[in-house]
Amino acid sequence: MTVSIYPEPTLTSTNAPLIEGWRRGELMLQHCSQCRAVIFFPRHLCPHCWSTDLEWKRNSGGGKIVSYSHVYSQVAAPFAAEAPTILAEITLDDGGAMLARVITSEPAAVASGMRVELVPMPEAARFPLPTFRPAK
Amino acid sequence: MLSKDIGIIGYGSAAYDKKPRRTIFGYLGEAAHNAIKSAGISKDELNGLSVDATNLGSDTAVTTAEYFGLSVSWAYKSTAAGAGPLMSIANAVRAVEAGLADNVLCFGGGAQDVAIFKQRIAQFTSAVTDYLLPHGHGGPPGLHGIIQRKHMELYGTTREQLGRIAVDERANARLNEAALLRGPMTLDDYLNAKLVADPLRLYDCVMPCSGAEALIIGPLDRVPRGKGVRLLSALERHNHPVGELAPVRGGWEVFRDALFDEAGYAHADMDFMNCYDDFPIMAAIQIEDLGFCKKGEVGRFLDANRLTHDGSFPFNTGGGQLSTGQAGGSAGLLGMVEATRQLRGEGGARQVADAQRGIISGFGMISYGHGLAAAAIIVEQA
Repeated sequence: MTVSIYPEPTLTSTNAPLIEGWRRGELMLQHCSQCRAVIFFPRHLCPHCWSTDLEWKRNSGGGKIVSYSHVYSQVAAPFAAEAPTILAEITLDDGGAMLARVITSEPAAVASGMRVELVPMPEAARFPLPTFRPAK
Repeated sequence: MLSKDIGIIGYGSAAYDKKPRRTIFGYLGEAAHNAIKSAGISKDELNGLSVDATNLGSDTAVTTAEYFGLSVSWAYKSTAAGAGPLMSIANAVRAVEAGLADNVLCFGGGAQDVAIFKQRIAQFTSAVTDYLLPHGHGGPPGLHGIIQRKHMELYGTTREQLGRIAVDERANARLNEAALLRGPMTLDDYLNAKLVADPLRLYDCVMPCSGAEALIIGPLDRVPRGKGVRLLSALERHNHPVGELAPVRGGWEVFRDALFDEAGYAHADMDFMNCYDDFPIMAAIQIEDLGFCKKGEVGRFLDANRLTHDGSFPFNTGGGQLSTGQAGGSAGLLGMVEATRQLRGEGGARQVADAQRGIISGFGMISYGHGLAAAAIIVEQA
């Protein structure tokens, strides 16, 4: 397995399906069985209705950028060498939204509204959390 | 309703440093010393304490009392980051009214520089450490770059318009010897500064630094007329809007009408506004959410106003955090300390003419996609 050079999230019993799913290149998200909300970041209960009946489902990872920033000033060392990185707010076609990194060789082409998809394996293994690229 | 007879009776600041010269307690002590001198009370008259400091570690309000040799019947440590120290003042007024303390010291500070700040931000909240840091989020500027771009694309707000905040605050800071950043700044300087988190550049971001601010809350009849500050209304709202990523609004919009209703004054009656300006875009959002203009119209509002101490909308009259520096827990008190200075007529070269009342707002706790904490207080001279 590729060892990530980046800071890693703490693996807990709550977020294990997300972290372990991404090690297979899959985006796994919690869905509330009561109110149908798609939850991110992972929690022990639904923040909308407090139901603990949560189900992990695979998400296609297709979505679009709502807004984004090219981040030049980094707080963690490995990213400084790669700056500017792109941090984006992404809404997902299958439900849910998150802030995540977008990887691209053409950073100037990134725009709000742009379609994105998950970075596929084996490249995905470099990144500690689900990471996106402009849709092909 | 807040008591009309209890309020702010003294204020004090510690000299700010770009790099810490002493521990957090050193900065807090200097601010506290100046505050009791301003109130005309002795240290032994303090029996209530509120603290919010960046580098306290495992220390608490009670161990802070130990350090300063205070015996206290009310002890409080705020949790709402940049909005917490502001609300500590309202809570101290309520504590004195309830007879829990006679005179309360509310202080906050930080002993940090940019490097220490970055270490702290990397371990900020569990959600940030687990779900943003692994993406290279860049700390608060990365998220606020997303928020600012959204505001610009939704409403047509421009960097030239937001630059008014940074440039006019710098003009105010040039009249404040305590501000760390006092060099002249033009709009071109602002527009062309080094990129931090596009669209944010250097002068969109506060400089982490060291310092402290303090206020004394007690019976207003302890000070001469014109030297006290009465709180007319004080409200807070945290984690609004629930779950929304990179919102271009915050908790202020929920309580704005109640805040002005309870104070019994309108927007036009405010002689100044001191807000929590960690980024100009958040200052702009506070101007909107507190109702000085409609949502999305802050660009035109900034075109139409000057924000200097002698301008049409006196704003962060000491230079704000953007020019004074962000000394951790000081930042949540900075606006109220400056408001107290102005209402006592002690603003010196940056005095707002005939300042009778103003509004102070707080913001903070930049967690997963959202600065969670919001508060505001309307005050008047007593």
